[in-house]
Formats: sequence, C-alpha cells, structure tokens
Amino acid sequence: MKTRSVQITPGVSSTGGELVRRSPWLGGLLVIGVGLVLTATAAPSFGRQSATPQNAPSSMIPDVKCVIGLENIKPGSTGTLTSLPTGLEFATQKKKAAITISSIQDVFTGRESRQDVGGMGGSLVKAAIPYGGGRVVSLFSHNVDVLAVEYVDTNGGFHGAIFVLSAGKATALKNQLIAQGAKVSTHMEAPEPKEQKP
Amino acid sequence: MNPLSRGSILSLFAFAVSGAALLMASSLPAQPGQAAKPGPAAQQTQKLTGSAIQIERIVSPEGLLIPEDTRVSMYENVILQLIQTKKFQHVYRSGDRTAADAPDLIILHLIPEAYKPGSQKEREVTTVAGATSIKVKVQFSSREGKVLLEKDAEGKVRFYGENLRATYDLSKKVAALVNESF
Repeated sequence: MKTRSVQITPGVSSTGGELVRRSPWLGGLLVIGVGLVLTATAAPSFGRQSATPQNAPSSMIPDVKCVIGLENIKPGSTGTLTSLPTGLEFATQKKKAAITISSIQDVFTGRESRQDVGGMGGSLVKAAIPYGGGRVVSLFSHNVDVLAVEYVDTNGGFHGAIFVLSAGKATALKNQLIAQGAKVSTHMEAPEPKEQKP
Repeated sequence: MNPLSRGSILSLFAFAVSGAALLMASSLPAQPGQAAKPGPAAQQTQKLTGSAIQIERIVSPEGLLIPEDTRVSMYENVILQLIQTKKFQHVYRSGDRTAADAPDLIILHLIPEAYKPGSQKEREVTTVAGATSIKVKVQFSSREGKVLLEKDAEGKVRFYGENLRATYDLSKKVAALVNESF
C-alpha cells in the first residue's frame, strides 16, 4: 500500500477570508460573481411574473368604496377593486362580486369632493364641536373619482354599480376596461359640483 | 296644609304638566305625515294591485343633465326600497326577460323633471345653502302602457350627507308612495 505525502506550503493553505483581505480586487470579483449567480437563478421567476400582466393585464385598487349596485355586497362596503382580463372584481373581507366584460353596457367616470371627516360618526363629531368648529372642519375635503358601471345580469336585467376610488384612478380603469372590450357610449358631461370649480 | 306639602303638590303638578306636554310634542311629528297625504279621497281608497313590478331605466329628458352616478344610484336605491316594502312577489329590473311571464305586472317609470346639484361643503359650512335636490315624476303603468297612477316625488339632502343621499331620500319617498297606493 502506497502512501502519498502531501506537502502543504503556508502560502497555498490561506483561507478565502485571507485572500479577500489580501486582494480587494479579488473580493470585488467574488461579490460580483455571487450577485451574477443570484441574478441568473432569479431571472426565470421574474420572467414569469412580468409575463402575466402582459398577457392578462390586471390592476388592483385597494380602499374602494362600493356605494351601491353589486349583488351580495352591502351598499357602502369598502374593499379591493381588481381589473381582471374577464372583467371587474370587487372583494371585501368576506364577499366577492364580479362584473364580466361582456355584460358591461356603459362606463362613466366623474370627480367629486368628499369631506375629510365624514360619515355618521364624523357628522356627530362635527356637531359636537362647540362655537361652530364643526363648520371649519367641513372646509377640509379631498377629491375622489367616481366610477359608474352599467351592466346586465344573465336574465338581461339592468344593473348599475357605483365605486368611489382615490383621485386619478377611475379614468385609467375605464380605459383598461375599454381596451378589454367593454361597451362605452359617448355621453355629455354633467356639470361638476360647485366646490370643484377653481 | 303646611307650605312644604303645598310645594310638593305644586312640583308634582308641574311634573305631570311637563310630562303631558312632552307626550303631545312627541306625537306631533307623526300627525303632519298623515294629514299631508295629498290627492283626492278616491285615490287613497282605491288601491292598485299587482303581483310584480318592473323598474324601467331612468333616462334624462333632453335639456336636463343629471350625473350618471346620480341616475344609477336612483335606480338601484328604488329597487332596494321596493324590495323592502314587500308589496310585490318580484321586483324586476329593466330588461329582465323573466318578467314576461309575471301576471299583473306593474311597470314603474321614473321621469326626472328637475335636478339641482348641491354642494356638501356649502351645506355643512353654511347650513342654509347647497342643498341637492332631484324631482321625478313617478308613473305606474300596466304592461299595455295604460297609466295607472302618476305622482311627483322629490329627494333632498339639506344638511349632512353626500350628494347621492338625495337619491336615497327619493327612493324612500317612492317606497312610501308604493305603500300607500298598493
């Protein structure tokens, strides 16, 4: 039986840490290499994610108020409005409702002003502030977009759903619905509420 | 009778009088509603009958611009309120094909007559201006198109609430009209 003796010289036996310490260039190359490997392994998954919106565009808008008009959704519920390739989907924490593209008859957008302190609770608070302080609170408001969607159910029954979104999102959503094939008629713009005029 | 007992009797009397006044005041709001029912006595006694009702789409007449969300909200609120009246076995939406089989179908048309866009901010700041109001002609007709009843209704929001609340107010008035006519 042959035995093999290996002589290890002190220079060769140095660890990676020592190498990096000795040569910053080598350390930089090591970091770049690791980064490249990580990027290469992550690329396929990123590719899958980016391919989905191109084939099936979808946008999700949180904190949308469904004022009225969706089956099984309580009027005034807040949820997430998602534009799917098949149509619109509104989901609260408990329930979901969908409007298919083929059932949409018309889409309208508008802009309104909402009180910063609103609702039943807000009104009570405003009323409780002494010396007319509630009126001062009423001066603070913000603009919101209103999206009205007219659609028909499977029996041909006409429905209308109204959503209140944060400003600037309704038009993009409407354009997306039109691009997906939703019917939209030309209509005259109604006068905007007084507080929106400059 | 000593002064103390006389005082207690007086306080009891005052308590009774104030209680009676409170009862009378609380019964007052109900009285105008009953007394203000318009129309001839014949219309009040002659009730309409129908097993189902169909609400037609609300179309703004020429020259009257109503925001689309207001129109849609009016339609949907009226449907919800009509269902709550429980006067009809079915409340059909406009265009519903299943309504063709319904016997004694009543068709409800809401014809907008006037619309005043208000302002929530103006209402809440001034409390006297900025009211939103919408006035419609409520028309009940038969399937053949014969007008059975026609009345005006107006929805308003005067103080607190968003502009669309006027449509809710209007729908309550339409439901009240249905309750008294059917």
